Amino acid sequence: MADAVTVGVNLDAFSHAISGIQALRSSVTRVFESLKDGMKNCEIDLTDQRQKKFITEFQDNLQAVNRDLNELERLSGLVGRPSESHPLHNSGLLSLDPVQDKTPLYSQLLQAYKWSNKLQYHAGLASSLLNQQSLKRSANQLGPSAKRRPKVQPSTLVLPLQYVDDVIARIGRMFPDMTIELFRPNGTSAVLLVTLGKVLKAIVVMRSLFIDRTVVRGFNENVYTKDGKLDIWTKSQYQVFQKVTDHATTALLHYQLPQMPDVVVRSFMTWLRSYIKLFQSSCQRCGHFLQDGLPPTWRDFRTLEAFHDTCRM
Amino acid sequence: MGVTCVCQVPVAEGKSVQQTVDILHKKLEQLGAVKQGNFCVDCETYQSTVNAGGQPSKLLYVMHNSEFPLSCLALFEGGPCLVADTNFDVLMVKLKTHFQNAKGHKVECRGSRYRYCDFLIKVGTVTMSSSVRGISVEVEYCPCVVPGDCWNLMKEFMLSFLGNNVPELPTVFAAKPEGLFAPADSVDTMTQYLELFNKLRKLQITGSNVH
Repeated sequence: MADAVTVGVNLDAFSHAISGIQALRSSVTRVFESLKDGMKNCEIDLTDQRQKKFITEFQDNLQAVNRDLNELERLSGLVGRPSESHPLHNSGLLSLDPVQDKTPLYSQLLQAYKWSNKLQYHAGLASSLLNQQSLKRSANQLGPSAKRRPKVQPSTLVLPLQYVDDVIARIGRMFPDMTIELFRPNGTSAVLLVTLGKVLKAIVVMRSLFIDRTVVRGFNENVYTKDGKLDIWTKSQYQVFQKVTDHATTALLHYQLPQMPDVVVRSFMTWLRSYIKLFQSSCQRCGHFLQDGLPPTWRDFRTLEAFHDTCRM
Repeated sequence: MGVTCVCQVPVAEGKSVQQTVDILHKKLEQLGAVKQGNFCVDCETYQSTVNAGGQPSKLLYVMHNSEFPLSCLALFEGGPCLVADTNFDVLMVKLKTHFQNAKGHKVECRGSRYRYCDFLIKVGTVTMSSSVRGISVEVEYCPCVVPGDCWNLMKEFMLSFLGNNVPELPTVFAAKPEGLFAPADSVDTMTQYLELFNKLRKLQITGSNVH
């Protein structure tokens, strides 16, 4: 793949120069052959004429060599030089390896280089697009903007505890079959115990009004640890509720609106409430109740329809 | 601790009891269920010796379930029931004068226990004084506690390996109003087993293929 490297090579002149070299070689060989043969093959008996003939022949051969050499010099001037500035510096010399089939190092190297350049370009585009919408979930200020001007800390992260209590209480009153209890076992972060009918119990760990993580367990499972505190770490022992926990984590990442966190909590609770019919609904797509032993555990974020995890669009 | 359904599976045409049980095991394993040991449910009958007012003496049934190894259930058919620990058996021995043990009427159901996703399936042979009376299948859906909610789900599951032998909603649940859930004790399960045992007790011995 030598043509991938930019060379100022005139390929035509190159081939002519190669044939010029071959012509030069043959004329030099002729000179030495005639010298080797000497005067023995002369047909004329007289030594004078034989000498003259020999010398004329020798001169002709030497002139042929001279001519060919001049021709070669002219052609080599046309061929030009390969460009000094290798884009890959010393690694461009790898292209001189003739065994391309067994060790395609150079071509692979070029492909990797092009790919990484493209990746860098796309990543730059993506980061500029994503930075347009601030999705900050923390108060830490990263990046160069911190130095330019002091950004106002998102005030939704530092909310008075009473306000958080009020919002949660209001949401708890929205639905009759869902009860929300608020605990504060570790400092100012609220931990909610959401009981949905007789179907499930969900433990939602908050950070001011942002939902941090959630664990969903069955109605008959124990939510407290041996010490009597809320157990926020143990997974459910039932596969169906492990799946629902995964979906709930997806949901809390989906519903995001940094400026209005109470709307987010309301939409999350509305979505969670659709699980009241977890065991009664059949999948909207395949019509069955069970798929691999699991009921439809996925609830669409907009329409709240039930789907199996493998059936969702 | 979930919703349980106990039903009887008729013996397949031209096959013995053991062969039918093997067919069921094979179907379950094809589905992907994993065998998790054995189970045993038994029931002893006690007859009350005290006859109050000429009424026929009531029968007291004392049942054990290997799923709850430390408990024992005592119930009257259609009447009140009591969940006690295993020392109750010793108590019954002490109450020999009031309750007589009808030894020939002891019914046992033994078999294998399978687990599939959140389902527990127990396939067992019912024997009464070492004569096989029939096959019982118990399906439990552990995560749910409201029978009305998950009945369709359970029926679909039972259809996949029982074929046409899918039972109707057990009378135990039909009697409950909508929404009441199965409490953590095993009363509903054992009531269903008792119904099954009584039904099989009245039947004749199944054919000549006695295991």
